[in-house]
Amino acid sequence: MKWRVHIENYGFLLPSFLLTAVLGIYPIFWAMRYMFYDYKGYGDMIYIGFDNFTRLWGDELFWEAVRNTIVYAGGKIVITIPLSLIIAVILDRGLKGRNFLRALYFMPTVISTAVIAVVFFIIFNSYNGLLNQFLTKNRLVSSAIDWLGPDYAMLTVIILAVWGAIGNYMLLFLAGLQSIPGDLYESAEIDGASPFQKFWKITVPMLGPVMQMIIMLAITVSLKGYESIMVLTEGGPIGKTEVMYLYVYKLLFPVSTGSAMIQEIGYGSAVGFATAIIVGVITGFYFMLSRRLNRIY
Amino acid sequence: MKKLATALSAVTLTALLLSACSSNNNDANEPSSAAPSAQASDKAPESAPADKGPKTKLVFWTFDRHDNEYIKERVDNYNKTNQDNIEVEVTAMTENYVQSVDIAFASKQAPDILRPNQDTTIPFVKKGYLEPLDSYLTDEMKTKFGPTIQDQANQFDGKIYTLPNFGYTLRLVYNKDLFDKAGITNPPTTLAEMVEDAKKITEAGKADGQYGFALNFKAPKSALDRSAREILQLSGIDGFGYDIRTGKFEFSGFKPVIEAFKQMRDDGSMLPGVESLDIDPLRAQFAQGKIGMYLSYSAEPGVYQNQFPTEINWGAAQAPTIDGTIKGAAGFANSGQWLAISSQSEKKDAAWKFLTYMYSDELLKDYHEKGYGLSAVPSIAAQANTPAIKGVEGFLLTQYDALWPLPPAVTVQGLNYGDAFFKYVLGGGSLDDIVADLNKRYNEALDKAVAAGETKAVVDPSFDPVKLQGTMLTK
Amino acid sequence: MNGIGKWVSRVILWLFLLIIAFFTVFPVLMTILGSFKSNLELASGATIWPKEWHFSNYAEAWKQANFSTYTWNSLFVSVASTVGTLIVASMAGYVMDRRNFIGKRFFVVMQASTMFISIGAVVLRPQFELMVDLRLNQSLWGVVFILISAHATTFFILMGFFKAIPRDVDEAAMIDGCSFMGIYWRMILPLLKPGLGVTALFAFRTAWNEYILPLVFTMNTPKLQTLTVGLTNLRYGSGAAMQTHLMMAGACLSMLPILVVYFFANRSFMQVTAGSVKG
Repeated sequence: MKWRVHIENYGFLLPSFLLTAVLGIYPIFWAMRYMFYDYKGYGDMIYIGFDNFTRLWGDELFWEAVRNTIVYAGGKIVITIPLSLIIAVILDRGLKGRNFLRALYFMPTVISTAVIAVVFFIIFNSYNGLLNQFLTKNRLVSSAIDWLGPDYAMLTVIILAVWGAIGNYMLLFLAGLQSIPGDLYESAEIDGASPFQKFWKITVPMLGPVMQMIIMLAITVSLKGYESIMVLTEGGPIGKTEVMYLYVYKLLFPVSTGSAMIQEIGYGSAVGFATAIIVGVITGFYFMLSRRLNRIY
Repeated sequence: MKKLATALSAVTLTALLLSACSSNNNDANEPSSAAPSAQASDKAPESAPADKGPKTKLVFWTFDRHDNEYIKERVDNYNKTNQDNIEVEVTAMTENYVQSVDIAFASKQAPDILRPNQDTTIPFVKKGYLEPLDSYLTDEMKTKFGPTIQDQANQFDGKIYTLPNFGYTLRLVYNKDLFDKAGITNPPTTLAEMVEDAKKITEAGKADGQYGFALNFKAPKSALDRSAREILQLSGIDGFGYDIRTGKFEFSGFKPVIEAFKQMRDDGSMLPGVESLDIDPLRAQFAQGKIGMYLSYSAEPGVYQNQFPTEINWGAAQAPTIDGTIKGAAGFANSGQWLAISSQSEKKDAAWKFLTYMYSDELLKDYHEKGYGLSAVPSIAAQANTPAIKGVEGFLLTQYDALWPLPPAVTVQGLNYGDAFFKYVLGGGSLDDIVADLNKRYNEALDKAVAAGETKAVVDPSFDPVKLQGTMLTK
Repeated sequence: MNGIGKWVSRVILWLFLLIIAFFTVFPVLMTILGSFKSNLELASGATIWPKEWHFSNYAEAWKQANFSTYTWNSLFVSVASTVGTLIVASMAGYVMDRRNFIGKRFFVVMQASTMFISIGAVVLRPQFELMVDLRLNQSLWGVVFILISAHATTFFILMGFFKAIPRDVDEAAMIDGCSFMGIYWRMILPLLKPGLGVTALFAFRTAWNEYILPLVFTMNTPKLQTLTVGLTNLRYGSGAAMQTHLMMAGACLSMLPILVVYFFANRSFMQVTAGSVKG
């Protein structure tokens, strides 16, 4: 009989374990192998020990990418999470037409990144972008803003990220809000609580665990995001929106002809590894922080 | 479970509907608007002369898009008329040509015929993708292509891997209407004039959204390689920073040009947002008469004829030099390579037969005359007529176009010269420091590459750019 | 005072929602409008309404791209990976929640690490090489398996929902003589529907929007390309400049399937939310 139990246990676990180990974990070890070599995709792989890491330490481009990634992820989360939470709360109250609105908020997901690049360029470009046209025609600014220039590119990229993310997080929050029993609100209303009080004293605490998970998800996803940046600014101008994962991508996959970067698999793996560690540290840090907060609550 | 089933079936239904709708429109690979001469584009090789058994199928991958239809038509023609029972399938790849080739070779599914270019030939040769052509070359071909063989371009370690077809000249492209509006009679011949002209054009046209100058600075290196490069080359300095006389990188030659670019930007003569401007949006704006001038390759006439048809009066002129004197010649770019045979191919002989057809005098001449590219083969260029494309007159080869020796390919750490210089254009700083830093890093990379045997630093103290003049014209 | 106060707050709320809605929808609108513009107009930006309506863009896009093939491939990849993810993750979640055995902790750590330790595009090469060795790169199954292998998020989300299903259900089923597998299949899964619904939607959407992964895998096999890859390729037709107008038309066409899916998924989603009307 005991046999059976073991078979069931590990049997149910097997597909997940197999797939994760082979396709998820093994590649990490593969990359770790290349980290210690100088390999450009052809020719000899020269063992260079920790040279890649010494180079990484002094690589201005990389550290700028780290800063950019933190700013990008931070900006995106700080704006998206409260916004999507508020929207979810409002929608949850059974507003008329809320399904229609929900569908609207979900819209960004139906367009591919390449298309987004074209459209956002039309909106944000400094020469004749729609946004600048709107702002200048209505005298909201004195002169056109260079949205894709070195000063504002990061902001623009964050706006793009928020635009794409609001719908997702709103859905997640909505799902979480379902689990809060309605009676809590009813008894609070009987006690004469205002909407604000209801929000802060019931919704937020009850949503605690779900919110933790959502924020953790947001942190990991935002730190790793690079596709939309890649198609809109390619990390430019002059590296202002270069994020870690984009840097890694460029090192590993030669961009089309006339590109600036040469494929370097050895160095790219090392950068990827370092990036993973940094992301892991940040996430771990948040994890511990939220654990502490959990105990307080 | 039911909901899931309903959802799935609805979705499948949609897919089926879509496929039903398109059952008439299969074969997206068929040329939809081939040239009239290939109207009978039925790839029915069975009606070809003498059924000699199964056809030898060749796979040909190219990334050229501008001549896509023409090449397809030529390939169809070959398939119908060749006597060797060969059928070639040509595919024009998108921007991922290099990755596609890498993947193909890695999974042992390489095409038979490749299209290497100035950036990909060295990696392809190093990765062992290309088959040397020496054993196939006839004496006639050796004479025909002799002057075009260049080390590190199409010849490596004494072996020839590809032969050229066409190349690009580099010119100043300008809007005559805007020049007239600003009261300028001739395009600039010095850097100072260029800066001055840009300013005048902007002053005259700013109210209408017209600016004097622009470049595709979204990709700074690409922008400099089509602008600073020929300005320097005409002034007698290498366009990529490599001084062949000393065998070292020396970027100080760039200073005047970069200063000029910075000046134009500071003056406000550059189209706003150049730092995020890609080449096609630039062309679109130029076609709409918003840009006074820019510098680029001889691909532009094709663009303004087909993709962005324009009604402005535009022309091409020789790029300005630093001080007005011409001490060298503008490079004839991307000209050393065209077709190559894959080392993994099992049908190399057949592939060579196809190459003979493509490299025939008749096809090369036709290619040039139809305006797909300026011929890089002197004997062809001599006998061909002017290409039939509007605006190409300014791009034709002159005595001030030539093939420069190629700089060694190095992997530099940190910012490349395009990014480093553009950073200065945007934000200022010390240009001398930037030049010194570039020199240091590029030479370090060079030393490293030479030590590892990856490249050779060619040194020729007797090199004289002035001697390059007139070399592209046949005597 | 109270009545007006309520009215004012309602208006503010609605304004807020509408502004956000406009912000969200505007780029989509631009995509639709853009699909009717000429290439030149798109490349030079600046307009909202097309100067002229080029309906031919759609015909051209349809002709040049193999839409039915791309859609079918996208559907295949998305459905297969969604179903696969749900099965794999729920099986693992079920046994992790209901049973105790050695290696539980290890498994959780392993799953969590795939979420947090990500080295980016580096993994594509080894994954691809693996698939070549397994001969799975000739079909889309390679892509599907890689997508399924990234089920850690689904796993954790489902774990949360599993915890909410009381053990009595299991016990009652066992008394009735149901096997472990039987309980899973017949009792637990139906109760897991809300969780499955949410995760299915996300898994489907992720798979549908995947670009880089199918790009690398189908670069050399056009007939396997998904919509995301095929559409982007629309940009490059003949000619040195990009055919952005065709890409836009293609993008609009490809919006349809996912909208259909969303519509149906929303229906099942609504079941979840219908039970909790508040205020």
